Amino acid sequence: MSIRLENISKYYGRQVVVNNVNLEIDNGEFFVLLGASGSGKTTVLNMIAGLIAPDQGRIWLHDRDVTQETPQKRNIGFVFQNYALFQSMTVAENIEFGLKVRKMPKDQRQRRRDELLELVGLVGMGNRMSAQLSGGQQQRVALARALAIEPDVLLLDEPLGALDAKIRVELRRSLKKIQRQLGVAAILVTHDQDEAFDLGDRIGVMNYGRLIEVGTPNELYQFPKTEYVASFLGSANLLLGQVNGHEVFLGTHGFPLPAEAYDLHAGSRAQILSRPEDIDLAASEADLSGLPLGKGKVIEIGFNGPNQHLRVELPPIDGVRAISPVAPYGIPGFVMDVNRSPEQSTSLPIALNQPVWVGIRRLHVLSHPGLNFLILTDGSLRSQSALIQGGYLARMAHAQVTILGIGPDQAKIESHLLDARKDVGSGMAALNTESAPPPFKKAVTKLVEEHPFDLAILGWRPTAGLDQPEQLLQTGEQHLYLATKPTAQLRKALILLASGEPGKDNVIFSGRFLRHFGATATLLTVLPDAEANDFEMIRVERFLKDGQKSLARFGVQADLRIRQGEVLESIQAEMKSQEYDLVVLGAPLPDRSGHFELEGVIKTTLTSVENCSFLIVRSHQLQRLQDSFRRI
Amino acid sequence: MDLTLFQGERKSGLSIWALRVPVLLYIGLMILVPLLVILQDGFREGIGELVHQITLPIARHAISLTLWTAALMTLINAVMGLATAYVLVRYEFPGKRVLNAIIDLPLSIPTLVTGVMLVMLYGPQGVLGNFLANELGFQVIFAPPGIVIALLFISFPFVVRTIQPVLMNLDLAQEKAAATLGAKPWYTFRTVVLPNLLPPLVSGSLLSFSRAIGEFGAVVIVAGNIPLKTQTAAVYVLGAVESENRLGASAISLLLIAVATLILLTANRVQKSWESRYEN
Repeated sequence: MSIRLENISKYYGRQVVVNNVNLEIDNGEFFVLLGASGSGKTTVLNMIAGLIAPDQGRIWLHDRDVTQETPQKRNIGFVFQNYALFQSMTVAENIEFGLKVRKMPKDQRQRRRDELLELVGLVGMGNRMSAQLSGGQQQRVALARALAIEPDVLLLDEPLGALDAKIRVELRRSLKKIQRQLGVAAILVTHDQDEAFDLGDRIGVMNYGRLIEVGTPNELYQFPKTEYVASFLGSANLLLGQVNGHEVFLGTHGFPLPAEAYDLHAGSRAQILSRPEDIDLAASEADLSGLPLGKGKVIEIGFNGPNQHLRVELPPIDGVRAISPVAPYGIPGFVMDVNRSPEQSTSLPIALNQPVWVGIRRLHVLSHPGLNFLILTDGSLRSQSALIQGGYLARMAHAQVTILGIGPDQAKIESHLLDARKDVGSGMAALNTESAPPPFKKAVTKLVEEHPFDLAILGWRPTAGLDQPEQLLQTGEQHLYLATKPTAQLRKALILLASGEPGKDNVIFSGRFLRHFGATATLLTVLPDAEANDFEMIRVERFLKDGQKSLARFGVQADLRIRQGEVLESIQAEMKSQEYDLVVLGAPLPDRSGHFELEGVIKTTLTSVENCSFLIVRSHQLQRLQDSFRRI
Repeated sequence: MDLTLFQGERKSGLSIWALRVPVLLYIGLMILVPLLVILQDGFREGIGELVHQITLPIARHAISLTLWTAALMTLINAVMGLATAYVLVRYEFPGKRVLNAIIDLPLSIPTLVTGVMLVMLYGPQGVLGNFLANELGFQVIFAPPGIVIALLFISFPFVVRTIQPVLMNLDLAQEKAAATLGAKPWYTFRTVVLPNLLPPLVSGSLLSFSRAIGEFGAVVIVAGNIPLKTQTAAVYVLGAVESENRLGASAISLLLIAVATLILLTANRVQKSWESRYEN
């Protein structure tokens, strides 16, 4: 193992720039960190080199813990985007710099310098000043300088970013050749997909400080796990289908569900990816070589290189929703991108507005379903908390967001929604706004019946009462997040589990949710004095350990805590002992009549625990235990 | 935004001379004519007399005192100005902006006032001056150290302000690269940073030197006007003018002008050669 990163995090103020990154890189591997600017990829590279110190986590180079070591001691070759050649030195002096520092004798130094000049193809240029070289040549010198010290690993920070397209491709080729020849492990940071696909043995995709997925170029392109990677790499047709048993349905056609899609329960929605080249177009349904989706109309034709690129509009299919590409306003169904080879274009010429049959030749089900958040606002000061926290949560969790503005004055609420878009901030996976007149419950019900959500976010204070939270939990299937203050931070959560409660659903959702923030958790159960015997203690501990394991599956570290005594007092004591940003509570689904009331522990916790937000997770399994809740 | 006055290229017409002629006349009248007058005046009685005036013992002493105090000041200013610029550019600390603004203050304080301030501080009545004189036997005021301190004060901004922009433009990545190659901070400073700062350091130092040799106000207050002891060249010129020794005044003035011009040319040269080396 050349490089190992263990739970690396970096914060600038309250902003997390690198969020709990874990990564292992093999000897001789060429690894590419791919991400948009501001995704934290360069920070990761700087932390490996020791130029930036991580706030959390450990860094290992060749099984040596270097977290505390200075860059001077790490023996790393670093190539910068803007070359960073020493301007006052010649090419030769630049290359020899690291050797001189290592006090290598002059003749050896010169021999090594000549070898390197040859390796990077700059023989005879040793006496030039760096300013006399072209950009491509300068970067070759920078590479030679980094390789001169025989580094354990080579780190390349967008080394080709500042070069012309043609030189970039040329240098890309020699970079790979040299890396292979020397067998040195390399990490290259880039935002250029072509570069990543061309160079990487494996690629890690980063966004908002998180390493979202790691895999070979083919794995990430053909079999991505997440919506972000699916839509970030190449162009993607992403549809939302329905899971039923071991099949996933697009309309009436079922496909086998891949085994790794463990998160998907029966009845839940699944994201289905089909690349533009996997879409088949034909003149009739019988001619389709894939699963027929329907008869559509060509609305765009273009060429990228020899391939034909089309966009087709399709009528709506019952139970299917499109995530990407987004259908233009006014189209009731959805649109799909299609790529056709020159042979395909000649065997079936297609003109604009021509009706065609559309089929799917190959599809892939994403095993990590994206989250879908609903943020509620009425323009009040309290709603501000929901917008700010909701924006932060959605950005970190890559959730799609719908902001629902509820107010009697349509024009006023529409203008508020414009401001709200600004408040939640940029960098959203997808952001919609809706407006509706009061009453609150009717507006929410109408929306959640059309689009299911995973989480509703409501600005709330104990003085606001429990009416709105209860109404939100009476309808739909979403969990509820009560944002109590306008600050965006989620570092530590307290998960309350009633003794004896199966608690699987709420622990799993907590894990699914918390993993996005690099947050840690404490699992707390309170035993009333009367039940606090040894037998009960062992049982509760085993139960909490199961929860800990479930959270670990999502990479969320959790402490276990069992407290004895009165429930509310115990919770408050725990809140005092550490700074929690969030309290997670489990709640049952409403009964068949739609009745639901916040009561018992939940009610007292909500109304008396201060200074943190609440996540109320609804659980099928809690249904049966409603009585036991009333008892406490 | 220097294009606001540009109205397209014109090959002919009277108007192209409308601005040039007055400006050229202005420069000639303001700078060249006075220089020519003093040049003519200095050589009025031949080169022999000019040399004689310069080599008179009192004049010689004044000139050498001027040159060595200015040189010593320049050396100190070079080192401290470099350090100040580095701290101001590379480090963050509270009050940095205020400190950055203070650096230009010596340029706007009348040098006479500078002299008065220093006399108050280092003079026999001042606490510091009293301590230095009585406890350490070190006289500052009415002695060469006072001249050096006064010159340091008035020329402090020159080195700092010439190095600062170069250092700001110097890519931090070079220093980072040196670190990853194993170089310790001081080694990096010497081999990577300093060579880039040498040209502005040299030209800034030369500028402060040429500013210092002509200084009058601060020096005359701090050092007094004691021939063969604390009288500098500029002060000598005043004395010569007052005693109607016109030739002596012109001769020493010409020498000061010659030194200043030479230094200015050298500073320009250094700057040019540096630019051609790195920015082609």
